[in-house]
Amino acid sequence: MWFEDVLIGTKRDLGSYTLPQDEIMTFARKYDPQPFHVDLEAAARSMYGGIIASGWHTAALWMKCLVESGRGDAAPDGIVSPGFEAMRWHKPVRAGMSLTFSTEVIDKVELKSRGDLGLVKRRNEARDDTGALVFSFIGKSFVPRKP
Amino acid sequence: MSDLLHFEDFHEGQTFSFGCYEVTQEEIIEFAREFDAQPQHLDDDAGRRTILGGLAASGWHVCAMTMRMLCDGLLLKAAGCGGVGADECRWMKPVRPGDVLRLEVEVLETRRSKSLPDAGFVRLSCRVFNQREQVALLNTTPIIARRGA
Repeated sequence: MWFEDVLIGTKRDLGSYTLPQDEIMTFARKYDPQPFHVDLEAAARSMYGGIIASGWHTAALWMKCLVESGRGDAAPDGIVSPGFEAMRWHKPVRAGMSLTFSTEVIDKVELKSRGDLGLVKRRNEARDDTGALVFSFIGKSFVPRKP
Repeated sequence: MSDLLHFEDFHEGQTFSFGCYEVTQEEIIEFAREFDAQPQHLDDDAGRRTILGGLAASGWHVCAMTMRMLCDGLLLKAAGCGGVGADECRWMKPVRPGDVLRLEVEVLETRRSKSLPDAGFVRLSCRVFNQREQVALLNTTPIIARRGA
């Protein structure tokens, strides 16, 4: 996929993932060991009333679904991104919740500094079983331009 | 629990410095296999063909490593109750096997919460440096901290 072929407004479903409690706790013990992610009793006493997933775990699962759906619009050697904006964890993610991930192209920017690349911005989301928004951010990725 | 940092203990301009996080090839590949199985995060030769210039950690992995440093250095010593997201994150330099990362944090703003009367938001600017003193990641993230008694 070339930058020129990316169409603003294109939205893609990236599939779903149901997160088991042991995966929530394994990720959190490594990367985000706050009590409401790793300690059942402390989590029950917290404002969340039970174990919730690290927000960074949710973000990583969005990436997993993007890559495994094969819909990254990637260059053969992978997607390269300078970063993201406006990430929000709208609702806590709990064990057993099924998250459905999506990506939508919202903007394209030609780069003056790199004639061979363009920057594509996407609104990326996760929604729960009821369709409620759980997670969103604006992702940015470099996409090669036609030679 | 009075030794924990509460909302009132944070103020604009306050800085913290933590580290360090030693990055291994095994961990880069393990994270990538689970969450971001792209060639530049799994294979050095494939990485050389991208602008990353060699095997490099997934940006999401760098965010996770940053979170671990933030937890160990600050959040586990604070009356924290989670985050709401990240305003802006920039992956500035590839993170490679053998890198040793450290984190500098500055409080940008503190603000009482309307919806959570016993808590407030503390907006943090996080800068991750590698052992060459290059900035590898910039992230601005608001956390929620409980107010003291």
